[in-house]
Amino acid sequence: MSRLRSWFLVPAWLWMGGLFAAPFAIVLAYSFLTRGAYGGLDLPWTLESYQRLADPLYLSILLRSFLMAAAATAICLVLAFPLALFISRSGRRRNLYLQLVILPFWSSFLVRLYAWLFLLRDTGLINTALQALHLIREPLPLLYNDGAVLLGLVYGYLPFMVLPIYATLERLDPALLEAAADLGARPFSALWRVTVPLSAPGIRAGVILVFIPCLGAYLTPDLLGGGRSVMIGNLVQNQFTTARDWPFGAAVSVALMAVVTLLVVLFLRRGEEAL
Amino acid sequence: MNRRVFLAGLGVLAACGPSRPRLNVYNWSNYIAPETIPAFEAEFGVRVRYATYESNEEMLAKVLSGNSGWDVVFPTHNRIPPMRHYGLLAPLRHAWLPNLANLDARFRSPSWDPGLEWSVPYMWNATGIAYSRGVSPAPAAWANLWDPRLKGRLTMLDDPEDVLGACLRKLALPFSSTDPDELRRAAREAIRQKPLLRAYLNAEVRDQLVAGDVLVAQMWSTTAQQAIDASPRLAFAYPAEGFPLYLDNAVILRESRRQALAHRFIDYLLRPRVSATIAETTRTATANAAAQALLPASIRDNPTLYPPPEIFQRGIWPAALPAAAQKLRDRLWTEIKAA
Repeated sequence: MSRLRSWFLVPAWLWMGGLFAAPFAIVLAYSFLTRGAYGGLDLPWTLESYQRLADPLYLSILLRSFLMAAAATAICLVLAFPLALFISRSGRRRNLYLQLVILPFWSSFLVRLYAWLFLLRDTGLINTALQALHLIREPLPLLYNDGAVLLGLVYGYLPFMVLPIYATLERLDPALLEAAADLGARPFSALWRVTVPLSAPGIRAGVILVFIPCLGAYLTPDLLGGGRSVMIGNLVQNQFTTARDWPFGAAVSVALMAVVTLLVVLFLRRGEEAL
Repeated sequence: MNRRVFLAGLGVLAACGPSRPRLNVYNWSNYIAPETIPAFEAEFGVRVRYATYESNEEMLAKVLSGNSGWDVVFPTHNRIPPMRHYGLLAPLRHAWLPNLANLDARFRSPSWDPGLEWSVPYMWNATGIAYSRGVSPAPAAWANLWDPRLKGRLTMLDDPEDVLGACLRKLALPFSSTDPDELRRAAREAIRQKPLLRAYLNAEVRDQLVAGDVLVAQMWSTTAQQAIDASPRLAFAYPAEGFPLYLDNAVILRESRRQALAHRFIDYLLRPRVSATIAETTRTATANAAAQALLPASIRDNPTLYPPPEIFQRGIWPAALPAAAQKLRDRLWTEIKAA
């Protein structure tokens, strides 16, 4: 029986080996090579790309990306928790609401970001409507700033926060809340002291699912930020394209992955201790 | 299916399989007319696998392996020395390219490949300033892009070579400078300009120029012409301090096992009628003088696509940059972006 069970893991191993381990090994190898005279890769092996990472310029970009990702995650959490709670308590309509949360995934993220461009620009829907209502004279600068990038990140990753929180709330035994009420807890106090702690696994999963892709985001800052501010993803992309410095691009990717892994491990361990 | 039908089917497959040679062509997107490839296939009895790319880097990343499966690609002129350096290019046989005689005299002996031994000029384009006619005075120089009155209505290209190049020319320094001090001065100019900028945008700015969100943009002549076609309020200026010219070229890869067919394809592209159709459909300036003569006067005399000689001579051909300069430029570009 256990022989058979191990065979079930073959597709997963092939997937991880072919699509994660092998590419990662290639990226790791690239990061220790030298940039070719006109791009591409050359020998000798070197640590130079990692030494360049210590440059305050690149550290400041990393810090900025962390702040942006943290802000986007916090906003997602604040928006997603009440929404997940609402859905988990809406009886037969649950499935409909869940479908609505997933609905944006039916079209490509790129197309949806372009839709935001059309909403936010000077002659876009929002500014045109506000001007038609005589609420503003000059169009508001909604596009090409950090606010627009943050909006795009929150918009893009909100479902990844809603779904795991919903999953834990849905399994929450209503009897626990009744017990809290019987013991004299007011609804808000029961929410804060019973529901929130019990949904912690969902919140943790949501935070990780939102924070990591936000940290590496490059499409959103590129399109909605108008290239005026860089996040770490744009730095990596630029190294592989315009700058033609694959070793440095690879080193930035590896460093980012190392930092993310470290954070996730710490975050999960703290979560386990709390239980 | 009985056996006879099956065997007959195999025969048909064989007939249109290996016996019809296949040429692999990798070109920029929107850089050919819809009928170009089908007409070539019909005339020469071959098949063409045609795919497109959006940047030289995308193409080079594939071709650098020396085993990419492509026969003909279209690098920009300053990528030709690096491609030769890596031994990626096959020498051209002029005997197989009689239509080379159709080329514009200005492109017959370029500095990067004086004898056209490796590359055949295809189409070209420049970087200048697209602007709304309402802007007064009309921008005529890179220096005009530092005018505080343009704040929030101005964009630069999202490209370090063009942005640093414009700053260098504003300072009367060489466009392809490799000197660290000069490059740092140029980066300071860019950082000084950044508060005025709405964004660093490439082709996306076209719609915003047409809509009127953006009044002045550093822009490629071909894209600017598309915007002007959409809105007569717009115009294009070739900056007084000099501007970069970019020429894309057909080359044959050394890895290609269809050298003769690849030559035939390039010679076909050099035919006046074929080249004129491409230039007319894509609205890009052709390097083929015989084709230019066939174009309707409205396109041939278009001052954005084909600037008159006195303006053309202010053009600068950006050079291939050595690794150290490229590295410094990238660091400065990151500094500008992070500022």
